[in-house]
Amino acid sequence: MPTKLLYTLLFILMLFAPAASFAEQSILFQPVVSVYADAEGQGLLNPEGVACSDHSLLVADTGNNRLLQYQVKVDAVEFASQIKIPQLSYPIRVQVNSQGEIFALDGKNRRIVRLKKDGQFAGNLDLKGVPPDPAATIVPRSFKIDQQDNIYIVDIFSGRVIVLNPQGAFLRQIAFPKEFGFFSDLVVDNGGTVYLVDSANSMVYSAAKDAAGFLPLSKNLKEYINFPTCITTDNKGILYLTDQNGGCIVLLGLDGSFRGRKASMGWNEGLLNYPAALCINSTGHAFIADRNNNRVQIFR
Amino acid sequence: MRWRPDFIIPFLVLIFCLGGQSLTHAEGKFNLKPGARGKICLNCHDGFEEILKNPFVHTPVKTGDCAGCHNPHASSHGKFLDADPKNICVGCHTNVFPDKPVSTHQVAAEGKCVNCHDPHAAKYKFNLLKEGVALCSECHKALGERIAAVKFKHAPVEKGCANCHEPHASAAAGKLLKSNVPALCLKCHDPAKGNFQKQHMDFPVADTRCTACHNPHGSNQRGLLYDNVHNPFANKKCNQCHEGPSSPTPLKVRAGGYELCRGCHSNMINEALAKNRLHWPLLDRNGCLNCHNPHASDQEALLAAPMTDVCGRCHSDTITKQKTAKSKHPPVEEGTCMACHSAHSSDQVLLLNKPSVIDVCGECHDWQKHSTHPIGDAAKDPRNPNLTVTCLSCHRSHGTDADKMLLSPTQTEMCTKCHKEFRR
Repeated sequence: MPTKLLYTLLFILMLFAPAASFAEQSILFQPVVSVYADAEGQGLLNPEGVACSDHSLLVADTGNNRLLQYQVKVDAVEFASQIKIPQLSYPIRVQVNSQGEIFALDGKNRRIVRLKKDGQFAGNLDLKGVPPDPAATIVPRSFKIDQQDNIYIVDIFSGRVIVLNPQGAFLRQIAFPKEFGFFSDLVVDNGGTVYLVDSANSMVYSAAKDAAGFLPLSKNLKEYINFPTCITTDNKGILYLTDQNGGCIVLLGLDGSFRGRKASMGWNEGLLNYPAALCINSTGHAFIADRNNNRVQIFR
Repeated sequence: MRWRPDFIIPFLVLIFCLGGQSLTHAEGKFNLKPGARGKICLNCHDGFEEILKNPFVHTPVKTGDCAGCHNPHASSHGKFLDADPKNICVGCHTNVFPDKPVSTHQVAAEGKCVNCHDPHAAKYKFNLLKEGVALCSECHKALGERIAAVKFKHAPVEKGCANCHEPHASAAAGKLLKSNVPALCLKCHDPAKGNFQKQHMDFPVADTRCTACHNPHGSNQRGLLYDNVHNPFANKKCNQCHEGPSSPTPLKVRAGGYELCRGCHSNMINEALAKNRLHWPLLDRNGCLNCHNPHASDQEALLAAPMTDVCGRCHSDTITKQKTAKSKHPPVEEGTCMACHSAHSSDQVLLLNKPSVIDVCGECHDWQKHSTHPIGDAAKDPRNPNLTVTCLSCHRSHGTDADKMLLSPTQTEMCTKCHKEFRR
């Protein structure tokens, strides 16, 4: 009998092994649902930013100068609230920290606005003690918040990534590499590695935790991607780049190798038209700001 | 020392072979009668007598070795050439190309030697078809016309392009230059001379790229500056932007990025910054210099290069799409990206210069604004509840492989994307 039990256990293990490895695979990009409007039916207009968790979705409804909050349910989303304040005129990137505080990059005024959990204005992100001159111009093109709530800002004016603590105090900076085209976005993985995406050269650079500078992670990826503008990671070994001009999502390994291309250009659900931003939650759902289709699409 | 008999026989065989080879060579590979080489060809090709009177005659022709290049009996190549015309010249002229060329003349690489040289005889040295600039202008027409028309001419250009450029390939620099700039320029222009320093306002420019400001092919501006000169530069007010020759860092600019230009162009920059959407490179560390030359340019608005090239530095995917497309959009082809886009900023996505895509297209395609498929706010796109039908619902503005820049290969396929009831 013990032999029979052993064989049964082995058989069950064999059945589950493929399922376990499948779970580690990247997102399949099967369309689940799309977000088109708020509760009153006002449609989204050129949304450019998304932030997500397992239970919530925050959309930068850029063309309507507002943020929209949704609750994420199983294969569905439900409108929660609208945030429209005069201090945030043109949101293009959004992030939410572990405390639920909202950060939004105002593309028109080029500053990061801080909002309380309920959407109340809490002030502009005050960049305290950023060298060499606290009064120097800083032009944030994009930003991300890591697991510890540290804030990473792509400062295109001074050519660096500025790292701030959750209160906005300067921690360190990482200089851009000597040669590059134009950096549009960054992402920080759970290990603290920072990845920068160069839109003009279709390249990704990386800086390991506490590294002084960036090194090219990939070669020129023009063969696979037209104009990447946003980067994120699933923290399972895959980097996701939104190919704005190509209307798709391109997957890279952590060594910069090409791993595939998902979705394609179009108007129907499941297709993308100038995708601007992408967020992935821990349940393996991808939320894409499908800018020129005036919607946010959710894939799994 | 004594001769060993076992060495003598191979030695004699070797001498015999060498002697035999030279004998064969003397007779030519076609075993012609003595005195028949070349001369026999002229019996029929009698027009050649006149050609051979030219001062520069190709050596094989001069020695009557027509069979050096031609096969008198039969050939797989035109003009009875003995080898592929692309390769026949380099059979003898083995040193035309350096081992590691930095730049190569396309016609030379393609073996089109006869585009420049007469293979038999010519009036000009190296059997060239024409002399100096006139020869190069056969292909480089626009440049040749400009060189002839400009008010202030560069003396070496007058004497011929080969003063600065290698005709076949350069092992030293791009654009077939004999060496890189400024080294090439400094062969004639001595930066230590007083006049040179005075003209450059005592700025240490010996290590800078001369061609950033000067047009080496001649100009209508004094000092061979490019035709469009930035006002402070023309008025020698270099200190408005640079620290000045007395500074330890004389060429360093007084402010970074767009902030330097804002000093004079404040209205333009403030207007740009007031729009919703910026062309982000305007605000990076290079600022305005991403697209403009701060000193002089042969382009309008001091653009650093023709507009398609400037935009294509970052948007190479878009420019390539247009180049490879079967149906192309003329404004992109003509390098007028700003016919549709605002270069600095806009309130619209894609930096379009009007709120409505239909109005942008209507600037040129006015008729289609009112005589076409329903478009505009009243025409809902059946594929997406948040969209209305615009020109871009069916067309792609930077070219496609379908007619009329349609997105689908056939009109049927395009139309049935929405009109599904007509799908077969």
